[in-house]
Amino acid sequence: MRMTLAVISMVSMLAAGACAAGEAASSMIPPGERKPAPELKLKDIDGKPRNLAELRGKVVLVNFWATWCPPCRHEMPSMQRLYQSLPRERFEILAVNIGEDDDTVLAFIGMLKPAPTFQILLDRDSMALRKWPVMGLPTSFVIDKEGRIALRAVGGRDFDSPPIAAQLKMLIDEKR
Amino acid sequence: MFRYSRLLALLLISGAHAVEVKTHIQRNPETGQTSWKTAKQGITLELAQLTPDQSRAFFIGRGFIPAEAEHYAAACVFMTILRNEAAPAAIAYNLAEWRAVDTDGRPSPMKLKEDWLKEWEARNLAPARKIAFEWSQLPSQQTFEPGDWNQGMTTFMLPRGSRFDLKFSWTVQGKRQENIMKGVICANDISGN
Repeated sequence: MRMTLAVISMVSMLAAGACAAGEAASSMIPPGERKPAPELKLKDIDGKPRNLAELRGKVVLVNFWATWCPPCRHEMPSMQRLYQSLPRERFEILAVNIGEDDDTVLAFIGMLKPAPTFQILLDRDSMALRKWPVMGLPTSFVIDKEGRIALRAVGGRDFDSPPIAAQLKMLIDEKR
Repeated sequence: MFRYSRLLALLLISGAHAVEVKTHIQRNPETGQTSWKTAKQGITLELAQLTPDQSRAFFIGRGFIPAEAEHYAAACVFMTILRNEAAPAAIAYNLAEWRAVDTDGRPSPMKLKEDWLKEWEARNLAPARKIAFEWSQLPSQQTFEPGDWNQGMTTFMLPRGSRFDLKFSWTVQGKRQENIMKGVICANDISGN
C-alpha cells in the first residue's frame, strides 16, 4: 500500500512538471541544410511491418516515447488532435514506443482521449532508436516529403498549438 | 538627453549584475516533499526530491528485483527538469561539470547515467531493465534549441538529508554561463529502511 501511494505521489509530481509542456515550436531547418532521416523499420502494435521510407511524399512526425514518461503521456492527445486536423494523404504520425511490451502499450492507449488512430510502433530492444539523434524521451522529428529531418523537438510539446501546426502546414505545402 | 539615457543604461547594467538569482522553494503539502526552481538568462532548472521509496517503486515497476532497486534508492535522487525557455540560441550542458557544494564548501560531482550503466553491467542487469533505466535518467549531455526541455532522474552520492548548493552551468553562443540553486536537500527515507 505504501509502495502504491509512493508511485501515485511520484506520478503526480512528475505530471506537474509535464503539465508545463512548452508550446514553443523548434526552429525549422532550412531545406538546403536538412539531412536524410535514419532508417525506421518496425512492427506496429498489430504486428504489421512499417517502414518510414515507404511514406516518402508525405510529411511524417516521428515521436519516440514510453508510457512511464510523463511528458510523453501528456503530449499524446495533442498528437491525435493534430493528426485529425491535417490531410491524411499528406501527413502521417509514427509514435515509436521504447522498450515496453504490447500489453503495457495497449493498456495506456486504451486510456487516451482522444484515442490515437495514428501508427504506434514497438521498438522493444531500442535498436531502432539508437540510429536516431535521441538523447532523452520524448524526442520528436518532423520528416519532410523528401525524407529529410526538417525539425527536431526535445521534450514534450502541445502539437496542435498554432505555431507547431503552422510549421507542419508550411512543410506540407512546401514544393518538392 | 543622450547622456541621461546612457547613464540610465549603465545603472540598469550595473544593477543587473548585483541582482542575486533566487531559488524558489515549494513544499508539496500532501507528500511533504520539496522542490527547488531557479531561472537565469532563459534557462530554468527544477529539482524535486524523490524519496528512496519512490525510487524503489519506480524501478520495481520496471521489472527490477528488490536488490537492484535498493542499490539505486540508496542514492540521493531528484526528478530534474531543465528547459531552454528563452536563451538567445541553442544551449549545451554537461552534467559532469555540475557540482553539489556542501555546507563546508566541499564540491562533489553527480553520479552520472554512464557511472550507473557500468555498475549495472557488472551486476548483469537484464536488457529490458537496462533500457528502462537508461531512458529514465536525465541525459548527461544535451543540446537544447529554444523551446527544448527534458525531464529525468539525477543522482548524487550524498547521505540522506544532506544539504547542498548546486552549481550548474551551460554554454550558449560559445560562452559558459553559471547559476546556483541554493539549499537543496536530499530526501529522507520515510519508509524506515
